[in-house]
Amino acid sequence: MTEVSIERLTKTFGSARAVDGISIRIADGEFISLLGPSGCGKTTTLKMIAGFEEASEGAIRFDGKDVVNVPAEKRDIGMVFQNYALFPHMTVDQNLAFGLEMRKIAKPEMLSRIAKVLDMVQLGGYSDRYPNQLSGGQQQRVALARALVIEPKILLLDEPLANLDAKLREEMRVFIRDLQRRVGITTVYVTHDQAEAMTMSDRVVVMFGGRIAQIGAPSDIYERPENLEVAQFVGQVNLVKGTVTGVAEAGRCRVASVFGEIAVDSRANHAPGNSVTLSLRPEAIELKPAGQGGAQGKVTARYYSGSIIDYRIALDSGETLHVQTFPNIRIAEGDRVSVHAPADGFWLLGAAK
Amino acid sequence: MTPPRRKGVGPLILIAPAAVLLGVFLVLPYLNIVVMSFRMPGQGTPYGPGYTIGNYTKFFADGFYLFQVANTLWIGLLTTAICLVVGFPVAWQLARGAMRFRALAYGLVLSPLLVGIVIRSYGWTILLGNNGLVNRTLTGMGLIDHPLPLMYNALGIVIALVHVFLPFMILPIMAGIQGVDPSLESAARSLGASRFTAFRRIVLPLCTPGIQAGCILVFVLSLSAYVTPSLIGGLRVKTMAVTVVDALIDTFQWPWGSALALMLSVTGALCVVIFARLTRMKWKVARP
Amino acid sequence: MKRPVLTLYCLLVYAFLLAPILVVVGASFNAGNFLTFPPQGLSLRWYVTFFHNDVFMRAIRTSLWVAAVATVISGVIGTMAALYYVQHAGRWKETVRVAMLAPLLLPEVLTAIALLFFVYAIGIGTTTMIGMVAGHVLITLPFVFINVSASLESFDPSWDMAARSLGADRLTRFRRIMLPLIKPGVIGGALFAFIISFDTFTISFMLKGIGTSTLPIQLFDYLRTNFTPEAAAVSTVSIVLTLVVVIVSEKVLGLRIHRF
Ligand SMILES: Nc1ncnc2c1ncn2[C@@H]1O[C@H](COP(=O)(O)OP(=O)(O)OP(=O)(O)O)[C@@H](O)[C@H]1O
Ligand SMILES: [Mg+2]
Repeated sequence: MTEVSIERLTKTFGSARAVDGISIRIADGEFISLLGPSGCGKTTTLKMIAGFEEASEGAIRFDGKDVVNVPAEKRDIGMVFQNYALFPHMTVDQNLAFGLEMRKIAKPEMLSRIAKVLDMVQLGGYSDRYPNQLSGGQQQRVALARALVIEPKILLLDEPLANLDAKLREEMRVFIRDLQRRVGITTVYVTHDQAEAMTMSDRVVVMFGGRIAQIGAPSDIYERPENLEVAQFVGQVNLVKGTVTGVAEAGRCRVASVFGEIAVDSRANHAPGNSVTLSLRPEAIELKPAGQGGAQGKVTARYYSGSIIDYRIALDSGETLHVQTFPNIRIAEGDRVSVHAPADGFWLLGAAK
Repeated sequence: MTPPRRKGVGPLILIAPAAVLLGVFLVLPYLNIVVMSFRMPGQGTPYGPGYTIGNYTKFFADGFYLFQVANTLWIGLLTTAICLVVGFPVAWQLARGAMRFRALAYGLVLSPLLVGIVIRSYGWTILLGNNGLVNRTLTGMGLIDHPLPLMYNALGIVIALVHVFLPFMILPIMAGIQGVDPSLESAARSLGASRFTAFRRIVLPLCTPGIQAGCILVFVLSLSAYVTPSLIGGLRVKTMAVTVVDALIDTFQWPWGSALALMLSVTGALCVVIFARLTRMKWKVARP
Repeated sequence: MKRPVLTLYCLLVYAFLLAPILVVVGASFNAGNFLTFPPQGLSLRWYVTFFHNDVFMRAIRTSLWVAAVATVISGVIGTMAALYYVQHAGRWKETVRVAMLAPLLLPEVLTAIALLFFVYAIGIGTTTMIGMVAGHVLITLPFVFINVSASLESFDPSWDMAARSLGADRLTRFRRIMLPLIKPGVIGGALFAFIISFDTFTISFMLKGIGTSTLPIQLFDYLRTNFTPEAAAVSTVSIVLTLVVVIVSEKVLGLRIHRF
């Protein structure tokens, strides 16, 4: 039952601001991801929440209580490290027991809790193994179990899946998400993989250069990105130039572009005559044989990747588009095509701050 | 990630005992010996009242001591060079060879370190003496009539010193070679370099620090070796370290002995610096 | 064997390394009065002579005592210094390292002489064992430092953080996480210290007092005037003692020496 609130949190290393005045309120039981490119301050933020780094400025509160002066070992957090940090000289059992011993839990309860958690991460029967006798995925689950068995107030994970292969990573995503739902523990998850952040989180915090660019539900981030930087970081995107011709209704502008005049969602109101950039996700575009209306163009490249096909289209107006379709349409390289984009596939980007 | 650093004096307690120990039993004695080398020689006492630079002028005026220092440096250089040539292939084999008996070979290289220097030098006297195993075997086989002069000369000293210090050459070089990713060599060869070129252009430069460390260690150690030259060289061939120690133990000439010891150490240090310059080493202390 | 020439060469070098040691051990069983070849039969008589030789027995006891004391002192001081060096030294790191390795890089002869004059200068002379023990601690300290700091460098700081996140305080983390993980380095360093101290010559030679000769010195003195195989017996016992120490620590303490 813990709500975490971070206010104007800042961390400076010398003159560099690794984390620069970020504020987030994390609800009880919420799964939140910190997403951003390498070096944007995710780990630093996590370490400040955990108490391994002192904040230079700002406050961190657990359930309204300031924890700045609480040392890491008293914060009652569970942490999963990128390299797992399993104690190499202890067996799985001993690793799990460590945190319980620190809490002076009686032996019988300790054993039953360890057994329960090991069962949860599907590692019953591995109790007596040493970490180096386990596979990467198993070690990862032991690390998770070790953090969970102490029933912490908050679970912090720092790129816990980065060292796993693609298939295992996908399995573990689902696994961690389901487990978190069942246990209902407030969770902060650090990753630079946008797909990971989207599949797992209730809300995603996108960070650039120590600042928060956007906080929102995964669909929000993906469909209604705050600016160009966010749009490009969370997925592939086509940029279409346009001119505002009028305001349709609150939060919607009329914009003229190669795709004609359309009403587009937007966060801000724009004055008529402004030049703007529209984002258009590649999977929102529909390709039809030439001459069926819409913008006209030519296929310059086609990349087959099983579940989808990637096309590069050169529009006659000079723009280049990136299109993803299901492989059921048969269009070859060099074909001329009509390009259709539904109005709700567009999003009017704000200028990057 | 560095562990969280505690502020304040707390951690200084960790280094304090070592600092005190080194300060009292290393720095002060070295300051003291420098002062001692400027003392007047004493009559019947280790040193007299007052100060002089006479000990140093005597050293430079008397060609005998200059010659002896040169001789000692020569023995040190020879020992270092031979250790390098003898040790490098062994270090290579230990680092790279696909050996079933690697642990055993490693143990063999280490084993001389477990045996005291007196015992090892003693072993060489048994081997190299005029009635020693080597000469006896050779005469027994009818290969020679008179025993070869293996002891009481520079040759014997160098042979024994090479033996004594070889592990100190092999181990750093081995560590250096192990630090070079074998795939770098493969990469060089895939780019068209011959085996030798790949070794010369890629592996050798990368393991130079190990070679430098080994050379410096062996050179410094052989300059200050006392037991081996004294047992093998006997009274006939004396290295500087032997002369110095004997001057102190037998004749109690402290100021003179100090000056000699310092001159030997300073020239040794100069050699190391020149060597480091020549091999363009970034000045770092040898990592054993 | 892939490269027969290299392999053969290495075998020759190993033979070279072992030869004088094996010769000494072999000579100790010589039944004759002198080191003659071929030996005049096998016997243990020189071991018997040795065990009845008070001077040598006293020297062995002195050696063991000095080595034990020096090992404990330099083990503790060196481990503490290594902890400081790896975790707290910050920009002083290189300075600390050079200072800690200094006794290894300075010529031992010079250090020994300097120490001798120093103990006289401060008035304790060689009547106490202070100078001798200090010298042994000095020359063994770098070996403890190298071994312990190597094992500390391979100590992953996230282990410490993990233990912290699980609620362990400073002392518990040191006792339960760090110490067990750097134990091989500490033991390896201490073992090195013991062997170096047990075998060292120059420092003991300069700093010995009356009746406090260590085994190497007694052996050296003996060799200057005597040629009986008793010296070989003494040497062999000394080698065996060292081996026993190594094997016992290996078996009892689960030793893995870092580097060398
Ligand atoms: N101890 C430190 N001293 C100085 N600068 C640091 C320190 N720790 C982190 N930084 C700097 O702070 C910035 C943020 O680092 P942080 O580790 O939080 O990045 P990150 O978002 O976790 O990146 P990654 O995805 O690569 O793990 C980086 O520019 C980094 O260089
Ligand atoms: Mg990070």
